[in-house]
Amino acid sequence: MATQHSRAAARFMISPSVLLLLGWMLIPLGMTIYFSLLRYNLLMPGEHPFVGWENYSYFLSDPAFKTALINTLLLVVGVLIITVVGGVLLGLLLDQAMWGQGIVRILVIAPFFVMPTVSALVWKNMFMNPVNGLFAYAAKFLGLQPYDFLSQAPLMSIIGIVSWQWLPFATLILLTAMQSLDQEQLEAAEMDGAGPFSRFFYITVPHLSRAVTVVILIQTIFLLSIFAEILVTTNGGPGNASTNLTYLVYAESLLRFDVGTGSAGGVVAIVLANIVAIFLMRMIGKNLDA
Amino acid sequence: MARMISSRRKAVNTAIAWSVGLLIFFPILWTVLTSFKTEAQAIADPPIWFNFHWTLENYVTVQERSNYFRHFWNSVVISVGSTLIGLAIAVPAAWAMAFVPGKRTKDLLMWMLSTKMLPPVGVLVPIYLLFQKVGLLDTQIGLIIVLTLINLPIIVWMLYTYFREIPVDILEAARMDGAGLKDEVISVLLPMAVPGMASTVLLNIILAWNEAFWTLNLTAAKAAPLTAFIASYSSPEGLFYAKLSAASTMAIAPILIMGWFSQKQLVRGLTFGAVK
Amino acid sequence: MTFTIRAGLMACAASALVATSASGETITIATVNNGDMIRMQGLTDDFTKSHPDIELEWVTLEENVLRQRVTQDVATKGGQFDVMTIGTYEVPIWSKQGWLVPLKDMPEGYDAADLLPAIAGGLTTDGELYAAPFYGESSMVMYRKDLMEKAGLTMPDAPTWDEIKAAAAAMTDKDGEIYGICLRGKAGWGENMAFLTAMANSYGAKWFDMDWNAQFDSPEWKATLTDYLDLMNNYGPPGASSNGFNENLALFQQGKCGMWIDATVAASFVTNPTDSTVADQVGFALAPDKGLGKRGNWLWAWNLAIPAGTEKADAAKAFVAWATSKAYTELVAANEGWANVPPGTRTSLYENQEYLDAAPFAKMTLESIQAADPQHPTVDEVPYVGVQFVAIPEFQGIGTSVGQQFSAALAGQMTADEALAAAQTLTTREMKRSGYPK
Repeated sequence: MATQHSRAAARFMISPSVLLLLGWMLIPLGMTIYFSLLRYNLLMPGEHPFVGWENYSYFLSDPAFKTALINTLLLVVGVLIITVVGGVLLGLLLDQAMWGQGIVRILVIAPFFVMPTVSALVWKNMFMNPVNGLFAYAAKFLGLQPYDFLSQAPLMSIIGIVSWQWLPFATLILLTAMQSLDQEQLEAAEMDGAGPFSRFFYITVPHLSRAVTVVILIQTIFLLSIFAEILVTTNGGPGNASTNLTYLVYAESLLRFDVGTGSAGGVVAIVLANIVAIFLMRMIGKNLDA
Repeated sequence: MARMISSRRKAVNTAIAWSVGLLIFFPILWTVLTSFKTEAQAIADPPIWFNFHWTLENYVTVQERSNYFRHFWNSVVISVGSTLIGLAIAVPAAWAMAFVPGKRTKDLLMWMLSTKMLPPVGVLVPIYLLFQKVGLLDTQIGLIIVLTLINLPIIVWMLYTYFREIPVDILEAARMDGAGLKDEVISVLLPMAVPGMASTVLLNIILAWNEAFWTLNLTAAKAAPLTAFIASYSSPEGLFYAKLSAASTMAIAPILIMGWFSQKQLVRGLTFGAVK
Repeated sequence: MTFTIRAGLMACAASALVATSASGETITIATVNNGDMIRMQGLTDDFTKSHPDIELEWVTLEENVLRQRVTQDVATKGGQFDVMTIGTYEVPIWSKQGWLVPLKDMPEGYDAADLLPAIAGGLTTDGELYAAPFYGESSMVMYRKDLMEKAGLTMPDAPTWDEIKAAAAAMTDKDGEIYGICLRGKAGWGENMAFLTAMANSYGAKWFDMDWNAQFDSPEWKATLTDYLDLMNNYGPPGASSNGFNENLALFQQGKCGMWIDATVAASFVTNPTDSTVADQVGFALAPDKGLGKRGNWLWAWNLAIPAGTEKADAAKAFVAWATSKAYTELVAANEGWANVPPGTRTSLYENQEYLDAAPFAKMTLESIQAADPQHPTVDEVPYVGVQFVAIPEFQGIGTSVGQQFSAALAGQMTADEALAAAQTLTTREMKRSGYPK
């Protein structure tokens, strides 16, 4: 149906986006790869000798690298599980008839509008602080010892904060999907004697699979590069307990100002992100294909 | 077919939903409340809920220390500017992908999304050097460029999924009537696409407003948006919960209010093709 | 729609133009969000009155963010800042790289000879002053007189670590939320490592021997870390592994700490009745020792420096001179009282009776500053300069990584031995890579 002419027009229309993104990808990436092969520390000006793979072997042999890799995975998977499960439950709840539905929805989506830095600051100081935080007051009120979230369970705490920010996004998409579910189909199932659980698992869940895929895809993109929350709350610690790959690269290139090693870490992170991307795209490809 | 729902069940739903909603919203509410307390009240044990002497002194202190309105204006210009430019670039691309799909369209789309996975920390130094050479450091234009590029894939994808839901038959009909490409876009497509675009614009303004890495690292004084404003309150000396709360409230209030007022538009397009 | 886009674009372009064209000369000052700096920001009218052609732009950032931003800018010659607030660690390294403008020809009456020699010495390279100290500090013990009295103890002016431990044990009342001692635990070379390195000096430990070999496997370091963990685990506040200077200050002001060993500048905050609930109960003592001839106190100053990349060096110099002058001290005294003037930079301040009367901590601050010796920081001889840091560019990275290990030990995630072994490995690895011994 598409003519030669319209194909050419289409190409012309797509090209600005593609060229810009190609430039945005290739120029910094090219520079990063180039820097990653040099001994280049901002604090030591002068020659930047070519050192080949030395920066890579240094970065990859860093004991923190393995920890960071595992933490990155835990962070992404943890937040995904919480937001998807929580989003489905919240979506189901908001899909019910109630008074003031609009206001409840406003309350639920609010965290999505909060800057990551602000939410990390607020959670860290006003809630999780073991002396003055609200959780500490609650624990004391219940006669318990205040729990020191950010040093005893740093990664879990960050997962919690990030989940709070992303739960609204998942809820909104899943809720919209639920609302598009054919009510008659549900009612027919009910008449056939299907209980609420089997209706949920046999009708609602399959219907939601596309929405869940979308949530996973979009969130993974943002979750892989979580940074502000870690910087503000734990600085990657204690030890390396909450260091993810992004934070490790930050530590190399902006705390140590070792641009060479930082760039090598950046390239490693890009390669790993692309592996995840390919994996995701395969998964999405199946699900999103109309 | 309307079903009667017992008002008892409705009341239970309402109670549960409101409790959950308030629980999720609570951190924001608490921040706003704290911003009107004195520093001593902010850390009082037991916590004070509403029964305190409301004061604006924290807001005054914050405003004395930093030029809020300039940061605010920078945030507005940068987030709106980058979104509109992104939209201008993305609309043709998404339109073409949706209506003239080729074999590679989906790969192209996925490739675009994958550029978002580039970890910003890994490429900061190159970009910083580049920006310094061309004089874009600490300029609104510089930030607009960066934010346009990092949000472009999301814009393209949202628009693409939205455009695809527009039935092709309508375009065919318009073509039969002898409408050219331009008329097709302006008189047929745009009216149908406006809700999707509105939602895209809103989501991207939110993302750009909250972007904290590039905005903090590429600015100093002139172009620094609210993310940089908040960075000066992260751990000041002494008691600071009330001042931190006031600064936080000032940083998130504009986007929160915008989000609430436009949530219908935002939600309508926020499906990413997930709903058929 | 197209109209909106175009209008939007034009609005952006227009406002960008407005933002870049400024009248007169505008200098951008990067500064840390400490109380003294924020006070200076509030007093700048005095400067602009005498320099109507110079406009000031402030970029106020939290310490770690500030350090990253200014280092990145100065090293890439980014030119975004005309005045930078930097520490004693940066000045010798940066001035050797040629990144700073030497502060020659300061305006008349600046009186550089009045600067405290201990502080100015760290800011001078080849006889040239490269940064002007805004405030200087050492560290000392701040303690609660009322709690000490209640425990039936008195604090000597120059305590030992054993006496500190005994006092901490006697004052701790965890049910009453009184913790005998608050110390830094947050990872960072300028946070927990500043304290621990200074403490280690008094224990006879050192970072490197004369051949630049890391020394974390020494018994002295083991004793330092074991005693630190012992103090903090038994008598410290919960969550200590994320407490830095600011967090501890808040705790002390709320009356939750019996003792706090930290920067001397904290003295004016903890004795200020508007912020501190224990203002009239604070006593001061020198940092503890172990009888080995070195005390566990450091030496630091926040300084104003002018990066070599700036085109507005003269305006910047005028500002630096104003902010670090005697006249500025008097301005603060007139507005906020003598107790709040930036301490630790000028001899004349400690000869001023009005200041000595208003600041009960003045004597102890001066003694602490004079007791620190950056040229000979440790009991044994070492190849490096710097009390709580090692003045080499690699130190920031190593110090922070080691700090993370020690912070993890404090959080209970590893033992003291494991933390020391990890510190030894990573320091050796990094130093070998950097080509030491040089």
